[in-house]
Amino acid sequence: MSRITLENLTKRFKETTVLDGINLEVPEGTTLVLFGSSGAGKTVLLRCIAGAIEPDNGRILIGGSDFTDVPPEERGIGMAFQNFALFPHMSAFDNIATPLTARTLEKSAIQKAVDGVSRLLKIEHVLSHKPKALSNGQKQRTALARALVSEPKVLLLDDPLRNVDAKLRFEMRLELPRLLADRGATVIYVTQDYKEAMALGDRIAVLEAGRITQIGTPEDIYRRPANIDIAKLFGDPTINLLDVIPQRDASGVFATLSDQRIPLDDGYTEFVGEDCVLGLRPEALSFAESSKAVPVTVEAETPFNEKTVTLVTTLRKREILLSRPAGTPAPSSGSARMAIDPRGAILFDRASGNRIDPKSTASAEEAAA
Amino acid sequence: MTTPLLDLRQVNKKYNEGSKHQVHAVRELNLAVEPGEIVALLGSSGCGKTSTLRMIAGFEEVSSGSILIKGSPIHQRPPAKRGVAMAFEGYSLYPPLTVRENIAFALKGEKLDRQEVDRKVLEIADLLEIHDILDRYPSSISGGQQQRASLGRALIRNADLHLLDEPMGQLEPQLRAILRGRIKHFIKERGLTAILVTHDQTEANALADRIAVMEGGVLQQFGSPAELKDAPANLFTGTFIGEPPMNIFNAELEDTGDVVRMRLEKEVYLTFPGSAFSGNLRALLAKEQQFVIGVRPHAVHIHQDGEPGTVFANQWLGDQTHIAANFAGSSIISVQHDRTDYRNGDTIRVGIKASDLHVFSRSSGNALSHGGDIA
Amino acid sequence: MEHQSTLERWLRGIALSLVVLFFMFPIFWILLMSLQTNETILRSPPSMVFTPTLNNYAAIIAGRLDSNVATMSIEFMRNLMNSFILSAASVAVSLLLGVPAAYAFARHKFRGSEDIAFTLLSFRFAPPLLVLLPLTLYFQELGLANTYFGLIWVYQLICLPLILWIVRGYFEDISPDIEHAYRIAGHGWFATFRKIALPLAGPGIAAAGLLAFIFAWNNFVFALVLASADKQPVTVGALAFVTASGIQYGQIAAAIVLSITPTLALALWAQRYLVEGLSLGAVKG
Repeated sequence: MSRITLENLTKRFKETTVLDGINLEVPEGTTLVLFGSSGAGKTVLLRCIAGAIEPDNGRILIGGSDFTDVPPEERGIGMAFQNFALFPHMSAFDNIATPLTARTLEKSAIQKAVDGVSRLLKIEHVLSHKPKALSNGQKQRTALARALVSEPKVLLLDDPLRNVDAKLRFEMRLELPRLLADRGATVIYVTQDYKEAMALGDRIAVLEAGRITQIGTPEDIYRRPANIDIAKLFGDPTINLLDVIPQRDASGVFATLSDQRIPLDDGYTEFVGEDCVLGLRPEALSFAESSKAVPVTVEAETPFNEKTVTLVTTLRKREILLSRPAGTPAPSSGSARMAIDPRGAILFDRASGNRIDPKSTASAEEAAA
Repeated sequence: MTTPLLDLRQVNKKYNEGSKHQVHAVRELNLAVEPGEIVALLGSSGCGKTSTLRMIAGFEEVSSGSILIKGSPIHQRPPAKRGVAMAFEGYSLYPPLTVRENIAFALKGEKLDRQEVDRKVLEIADLLEIHDILDRYPSSISGGQQQRASLGRALIRNADLHLLDEPMGQLEPQLRAILRGRIKHFIKERGLTAILVTHDQTEANALADRIAVMEGGVLQQFGSPAELKDAPANLFTGTFIGEPPMNIFNAELEDTGDVVRMRLEKEVYLTFPGSAFSGNLRALLAKEQQFVIGVRPHAVHIHQDGEPGTVFANQWLGDQTHIAANFAGSSIISVQHDRTDYRNGDTIRVGIKASDLHVFSRSSGNALSHGGDIA
Repeated sequence: MEHQSTLERWLRGIALSLVVLFFMFPIFWILLMSLQTNETILRSPPSMVFTPTLNNYAAIIAGRLDSNVATMSIEFMRNLMNSFILSAASVAVSLLLGVPAAYAFARHKFRGSEDIAFTLLSFRFAPPLLVLLPLTLYFQELGLANTYFGLIWVYQLICLPLILWIVRGYFEDISPDIEHAYRIAGHGWFATFRKIALPLAGPGIAAAGLLAFIFAWNNFVFALVLASADKQPVTVGALAFVTASGIQYGQIAAAIVLSITPTLALALWAQRYLVEGLSLGAVKG
């Protein structure tokens, strides 16, 4: 049993509240990604669970029992740090073996366990080296091996891929889920890279200023972000945000952009005439020749990972980013027309910044009943 | 032939020359930058890109070779007399001056009247969205804001050459994409020439007209983003450029009759119609026998009659999906623009078109062919 | 910026030589004096040409001081021994108390910790002579005057703040994550202190200990007032060379050479630790 439950966890440093009443549940054997920008409190939260920092308030439960006051060495947790935190005066082997030397294990058992995990992580050949002599990638794998070697039921990974080069980060992003799934551990993974969050998380918890602002599957968070801030955090290039006031006529609800009609879901009827923000994912936009498309001016084109991102401006000089698969033909300058895939359009309330859930006719009837 | 704006000729940089700790940071570098061009020096840390930039700026001496701006050698001149403007990685704003004063300071040498300076500062502030922090001091603004201010200071100057050292590394991610677009527009509109140093290929691809890929002090390839992607000169650039990285496999030629058959590890065969390769290339492949093949993840297709692989990761990233499968003794990655429902353990069949195939020499790593033609 | 001509390089070399000459000359001169008789030292004008003699060293080691008036015995070797006992013991005590305290101050920020640490440092601010008068009275009352124990206690005023503040800096430089990692791996806090913090701060501790040793060795005032002849260190013992019949320059010089030799040897031996200690930051992470 290794379900992690956090109840009302609070931590202040002097006057600043770093964690503000965190409630969280991570079911056994699943991976929760803790996502947020730097300073959001992710690292503090992880250290509270590890026992390196004492919370001011609230409880930490692992498998149902209270661990809030248990010292870190008795929690049986594996942890990997962003800066690796290897012991510089010990060889890679001794580093990896530290979780085992704390128990009274036979030398041969330690040797076997370290060998096993090093083979898995492809670092058998550097076990005798001191951390100084390891490349960043090897350091990162050594740190990971140390976290995994004692087969802990709870794993805390603090942005472990942050300090390795892009190629290795990519490889590890693909390998890690399999590694974690094989061990059946309950994992909390901290990152500020949204792609890593979407790739690794069964669920993602977005942490902003010490509070969890949304928890959900990658799909929930990308397609139905709770507010504008979260919408901006996921997606590269960032979602386009345009101030609009929805209108309605005989053919339905719509907004206008460059004097062109953009049809919206009829579920937004309630917000006709209200100040709203329309979020358009760059990949939901494309160049088109249709007369219904929005007239724009192409400003600059920036190739981007097998994609091309184009900065365009509307008639009222609003900037919009478009992203399309590389190789698709498009005007490189001057005026063009832009089509919008309504599935990539999200409407927010301008005052609160919260997403507006379109009420389907069916659910509206339900609500009435 | 026009004179290049910047011309590096056989430039070498050695640190601790003569001692046993000698480091040959830049080797025999030749690079010509045309007026109005944006060039990126791209490489991982220690590849020599920053040494190169510092030699152009005048913060480091060249060990041998020469640097010319508009045809006249400048590598003996002090930094201030080279006509270059630079934005530093470490921001390096003057702490006792406000952001506005910091940016205006760069115009000191141009003897403009006050209104003109104010107008230029406001214009650049609009571009970089630093309007509301113009009167704050560097210590009271965030890292990203400091970097934008530093960029502003470099871009506002009227210099022959703008040098940008990791100009966007600290920028807020949400602003990065739009600022890339705006800065590119700004540089192009004014016809400025810029060199940026970066380890981030996304940034280099987005901003640069041409990219110089460096590794171990040696220039690996100098070409447009499209050239680097479609015709990498060697295995290094091939696997360095592109995200996700290029899939590579050791291959051995089996047959070059009507079909070209290549054997990968674990008895996996790739078969291409013989007509897809030029005659010269088929002769070359026959001569080499063993080589390395590469295929970009975007060009790995999943369809009925391909070779089998076992899926071990299927990651949806919002606008694309990365699928990784065990294949030919290692792994293969495929990128799809839509979401897919393959589960771990599923068998997929992957197909590779001859036109998407890159072949490299197994001994030197140099490219032999791209698509059906000799490199 | 490294635009430097040959001339600049030459000028820099000359400037450096001048500085070295300025600082090393007194030590060189003392070495010369220790090998001369009082007569050759005092002749005018001074000259570098003389017949070297080891008489000064012989006299000091034998403990017999011959002047042209009388022969008196001195106990310089005993003084040397005292210096050694006092310095070594006080550094040992300081390390024993100071290192754990430094660790506590570095890692556990409790209410008033900064104040206590500062108070300890402030011991270094008080002019020793000001503290000495009341201390002498206390020590006489307690029977601590003229005991090794008492002197070592007083020497803590010199060593403890030094060790505390230097070592604390080294502990603070170790990333807390490294220690967290060891504890999360299942080791208690004491094991973490012993196996992680101590080895990593080792070079810093050695550097601080060495510095404290040199400071203690060179102390004069405390020992002058609180120790009588049989507990005196070399610094005070050297006063014996100022006799009624004149100052024995040759023997003073020899005594000085003998008394700097141990600290010099220690410093040279520990140099590699000092260098390592200074570059500790580089192994972090």
